[in-house]
Amino acid sequence: MSSSGSGPGDVFDVRKIRRLVELMNEHDLGEVDLRQGDQRIRLRRGQEPVVSMLAPPVAAQPPPAAAAAPAADAASTPEEDPNAIFITSPMVGTYYSAANPEESPFVKVGDQVGPDSVVCILEAMKVFNEIPAECSGSIAAILVENGDAIEYGQKLFRVEPAS
Amino acid sequence: MYQRILVANRGEIALRIFRACRELGIETVAIYSEADRGSHYLELADEAFCVGPARPVDSYLRIANVISAAEVGNVQAIHPGYGFLAENAHFNEVCRSCKIDFIGPKPEAMAMLGDKNAAREMAKKAKVPVVPGSDGLVESADEAMRFAHEVGFPVLIKAVAGGGGKGMRVAANDLALKSALQQAQSEAEAAFGNGDVYLEKYIEQPRHVEVQVLADDHGNVIHLWERDCSVQRRHQKLIEESPSTSINQKTRDAMCEAAKRMIQQADYNNAATVEFIVDKDGKFYFIEVNARIQVEHPVTEMVTGIDLIKQQILIASGEKLALRQKDVKHRGCAIECRINAENPKKNFQPSPGKIDRLIVPGGFGVRFDSHAHSGYEVPPYYDSMIGKLIVHQPTRAEAINTMKRALAELGVEGIHTTISLHQEILNHSAFVEGNIDTTFVERTLSV
Repeated sequence: MSSSGSGPGDVFDVRKIRRLVELMNEHDLGEVDLRQGDQRIRLRRGQEPVVSMLAPPVAAQPPPAAAAAPAADAASTPEEDPNAIFITSPMVGTYYSAANPEESPFVKVGDQVGPDSVVCILEAMKVFNEIPAECSGSIAAILVENGDAIEYGQKLFRVEPAS
Repeated sequence: MYQRILVANRGEIALRIFRACRELGIETVAIYSEADRGSHYLELADEAFCVGPARPVDSYLRIANVISAAEVGNVQAIHPGYGFLAENAHFNEVCRSCKIDFIGPKPEAMAMLGDKNAAREMAKKAKVPVVPGSDGLVESADEAMRFAHEVGFPVLIKAVAGGGGKGMRVAANDLALKSALQQAQSEAEAAFGNGDVYLEKYIEQPRHVEVQVLADDHGNVIHLWERDCSVQRRHQKLIEESPSTSINQKTRDAMCEAAKRMIQQADYNNAATVEFIVDKDGKFYFIEVNARIQVEHPVTEMVTGIDLIKQQILIASGEKLALRQKDVKHRGCAIECRINAENPKKNFQPSPGKIDRLIVPGGFGVRFDSHAHSGYEVPPYYDSMIGKLIVHQPTRAEAINTMKRALAELGVEGIHTTISLHQEILNHSAFVEGNIDTTFVERTLSV
C-alpha cells in the first residue's frame, strides 16, 4: 500500500479498492470501470468481485495522452518511464483544474508550459494557491481530477520535456 | 463522538492513537513525511497523506499542510500526540478557527502554562508550593547575584519558554553565575527564540515526580496518581515508574491534590501532567505543567487500568468523565524503559539504520509500545526512541525482575540501542533500593 508509493490519489490504493468492493456489494452492482489519467481499473462481480487491472487501453478509447504503444503489463505505465518529468504537488490540498468553475482549465493535454505557467490551483485552508509548472515542455497527461485530495509530492501532470 | 480523527504525529505515539481510535470505532487519518513513507504503522490508519519532505519543519511542523490534510481528510478532530505541534498554542488556535477540535486544552490554557514563569505565578495562587525563585525575569548578572545571595547557592537558571532541559544552567557561586547566565540565555534564544530566563533555588539531589491529571469540559478534575522519572540523563528521561519510592502516602496525597488545584486554577481541560521536584527531605515544589499526553503515559495506564488516550478523545468530544476520583485505584508497580536507537558506549551517538531483526518480548506483565519491526529503517531525522518497554507486577521487586527478563528477551539487531544501559541501571543497588535522584545516571554509571 503505502510502501509501493500509492496514496489516496491513486486508483490502485488498496483502501479505495476495498471500499469500491464494499459499495458494489451494498448496491448490488455488477461492474465498475474507473479511469484516472492513463490508468484504469475494472471490477467485475461474479460469485465474488474480481479485480483486474488493465494496461493503458489502446485504439478505441485511448485517454488523450496515451501513445498507441500497447504496454502489456501495468508495471510499465508511462508514469514509470524514467525520461518522463512530472509536476508534483508542493503541498497538501484540493486540486482544481481551473481558477473557478466557470472558467476553462488552466492547461489541457498538448499545451506548452514554461516554468512560470500556472497549471492548476491547490486549495488549502481556504487559500487558493496557483501552482507553477516549474519546468518546460508540453502537458502529456493530467494525472488527477478536479476536486481530488492531493498530498505532498503527488504527481499532478506528466510533462513531455521541451526538446 | 468523532467519526474521523487526524493524528498529527509519527511513530509509536501515532500507532498508539490509531489503536485507541480503532477500538472506539473512529476512523483515522495519518500524516507522514517522505522519510516515513512505507512505514508499516501507517497501514493501521484508514487514510494517509504525505505532508512534506523529511525534516520536521517541512512536514510534521508545517501547520498549513497538517491542517490541509485534516480538511481533505474530512476529520472532526486532530490528536497532536507529544512533541511536534502538541504544545503549539498557535496550531491549537488554527485548529479552532478551522472548526477542527484539538484533542487537548484550549489555546488560552496552553499558552498560559507554556510560559513557565506565568505558570509559577498561577501555582502560587493555587496554593501550590513553588521552588523559591526570582519574582519574574532576571536580566542582569547583578540581579542574578542578588537573588542567589538571598536564597543561597546553588541556583538554577531556567528559560521562560523552555522545555526538554534546554536553556538551563546550574551555578554554584558568584564566579560561575555570570557565565552560566549568558550561556542559558543564548541557548534559550537559539532553541526557543526567546532568551528570557528566571532563577530558582537549585534543589540538590532532586527527585522528579509528576502527577497525571484528567479534566473534562464539565468542571470535573481527577488525578491518576504519580510517576517517578528521576532516572534521567541530560534532562532526558530514561526510566519511569509508579508508584514513586521517594514519597510517603501523606506527601503523595498532598501532591496529587495540589496537581488538581493547579489544573483547576489554569482552567485547563483534557490530559495534563503536573511536574514536581522532591527534595531530600520529602518536600515537594511545583516545576511546570506539561499540557499534553506524555511519552510515559503507559506507566499510569498499567497501574490504574485506565486508557489515557481514549480518555483524551472522550473528553475532547464533550463527554463527561465517567470516572470519579474514588474510582481511580493504584495497583502494583509499573516500570517503563525508553528504548532509544543510540550507542551508550559512544556517548549516546544516534544509531539510525535498518533493524535487521526485531524480537519482541512478551509474557505476563509485559507491554511493548513500538512502531518498529524487523526490516524497519530508523530514520535519522527524528527522535531516537524506537519503543517503550513497560512492565507491571504486584511489587516493585517483581517488576524489576520482569523488566530485566524482558530486556534480555528484546532483540534489536542491526542498530545500537540503550538496552544495555537499562540493564545496568536495573542491576544497580541504588535503583533497587529506590535511592535515585536526577543526578544518579551521570554520577554513577560508566557512560
